[in-house]
Amino acid sequence: MVQRRLPTFFQAVCIGITLIAVIILIAVFLGLILFSSPEALIASFLSDEIWYAIKLSIITAVISTLICLIIAVPIAYSMTRFSFFGKQWVNVLLNLPLSLPPLVAGVALLIFLSPVTSPVGQFFTGLGIYVVYTPMAIIIAQVFVNAPYMVRIARSTFAMISPRYEHVARTLGCSEFGAFQKITLPMAKNGLIGGIIITWSKAMGEFGAVLMLAGAIAMKTETLPIALFLNMSTGDLDMAIAAALILLIISGTALILFEYFGKDVGDVYA
Amino acid sequence: MLEIDALSIQLGEFSFTDLNLNVKEGEYCIILGPTGAGKTILLETIAGIHYPKNGRILLNGKDITNTPPESRGIGMVYQDYMLFPHMTVAENIGFGLKERGVPKPERDAAVQKIAATFGISHLLERHPKTLSGGEQQRTAIARSLLLRPSVLLLDEPLSALDTITRERLRDELKAIHKETGMTILHITHHFEDIYALADRVVVMRDGGIVQEGTPDMIMRHPVSNFIANFTGMDNIFTGHAVMTQAGIVEIHIGTMIIRAVTELTGQVHAGVRSEDMIISSEPFTSSAQNSFTGVVTQIIDIGAYSKIVVDTGIILTAVLTRQSIQRLGITAGTSVWITFKATSVHVFRE
Repeated sequence: MVQRRLPTFFQAVCIGITLIAVIILIAVFLGLILFSSPEALIASFLSDEIWYAIKLSIITAVISTLICLIIAVPIAYSMTRFSFFGKQWVNVLLNLPLSLPPLVAGVALLIFLSPVTSPVGQFFTGLGIYVVYTPMAIIIAQVFVNAPYMVRIARSTFAMISPRYEHVARTLGCSEFGAFQKITLPMAKNGLIGGIIITWSKAMGEFGAVLMLAGAIAMKTETLPIALFLNMSTGDLDMAIAAALILLIISGTALILFEYFGKDVGDVYA
Repeated sequence: MLEIDALSIQLGEFSFTDLNLNVKEGEYCIILGPTGAGKTILLETIAGIHYPKNGRILLNGKDITNTPPESRGIGMVYQDYMLFPHMTVAENIGFGLKERGVPKPERDAAVQKIAATFGISHLLERHPKTLSGGEQQRTAIARSLLLRPSVLLLDEPLSALDTITRERLRDELKAIHKETGMTILHITHHFEDIYALADRVVVMRDGGIVQEGTPDMIMRHPVSNFIANFTGMDNIFTGHAVMTQAGIVEIHIGTMIIRAVTELTGQVHAGVRSEDMIISSEPFTSSAQNSFTGVVTQIIDIGAYSKIVVDTGIILTAVLTRQSIQRLGITAGTSVWITFKATSVHVFRE
């Protein structure tokens, strides 16, 4: 028989704090879920505004995630496989947006792209392309804030794959790109899928940078987080909570999916 | 056939300068050297993975220094197999032919033929993860052989395997070399490989070649400490091995019998490192399977350690620290027990 001992004081404190945190988390989320009546929630879910926000969020997040992937894969590959002058500074620069408040990124982007303040903005306006305060601005803001996350995940994925796989593939007749595409990329598949899920779910919830660059224009640049913000400020609690609940479900699902694909990332192909 | 001419390479912290090496057509060349000597980088440079800073590599008289690896016709096998995990064994082996655009029916036939020679036909539909080490290495060797490379580079191909699998695969490599007449460069840490396989041995250290010659020459007249330590085989015998149970033999050397873990039988050589010998004044009972009593004939001082030569009917040499010698009270003429494990006996055939 296994004798059960009482936990020590230290163990009891650690477990106790964990337990309290779990209870608080459950209480907070339940509060959000149960606040509105089901009828009011369903009405909100079916409203044009929430539908528009869902559609706009999904479309912009899908596009920005694809762009992140296309940018991140070559960057992550060069950072893991090649050595070049100033690599550690490039590394710092690439990671900077991770610790930067999205609001700051948004302001910087606004100044860089606005036709009022920047020649770049004027150049685009001259071509008839209006970036600021449009859905395109949402995509740009999401890419700018999220690409570093995708780079990080892609980097750790590539770092786990020994370059010797590519070496062998080369001796078997592959070109450099062929070895990358036929060997490394398929081996990195699950890691990259995990990165796509996280990036997409972050893009769905991106607020600060989007607010700065795309503004909070109802039914125009109104993504789910913007809808939440606008309806809170006008006191439409049911609408705001509907948007919040959708974001909550997306985060939860993304986390579960990431765990599922992430478990394979642990297979080290070193 | 393969000429390496004044080759210099700089890779991060590592570099070698002015390396020269000539490998003859059909030669089995073994490269020895301590970790960090640059053996793998040398092989990878020959394969075309790294480009040298200076010098030339010639293959059959043709300068291939700037030829990309895919056009060199040089095969490479690593210690840890590097089988593509997202492909079956058949897809792995056929990968090179597929890259060359060989149509599927032809490819499949070639894969099946080579799989049969390596005894892995039954594994073709499996994924590499589910194979044993020996099966994985057979697959990796088959994969590179299928393209009939003019040079095959082997980077410690047997190191990750258990003793018995290593012996079998070593025999297979020998047979392949004999049949195909392929030029092979093979990095190893196992001195049995030298006797069993090498036509010529090249010793590397700190990015340079310190000695080359026939196995016999290298083993008998080592110029570097590394070789002496590496061979460390003061105890080499010739005897007749008889299998007593699966994987265990008794080697009869005159009237003495040494037990060893191997599948080789008949006339064999057996080597034991002097560091693997245990000296005691009382009979030593343990799982170690070889224990003899004898008289110390000589104590040779070699710095911090001393070599103890014991006559047990055959001459055995052990290494002890000075403290141990004092503690055991050993002088010439003392009777001692000398013990070593069956797994410490390295059995090989010439």
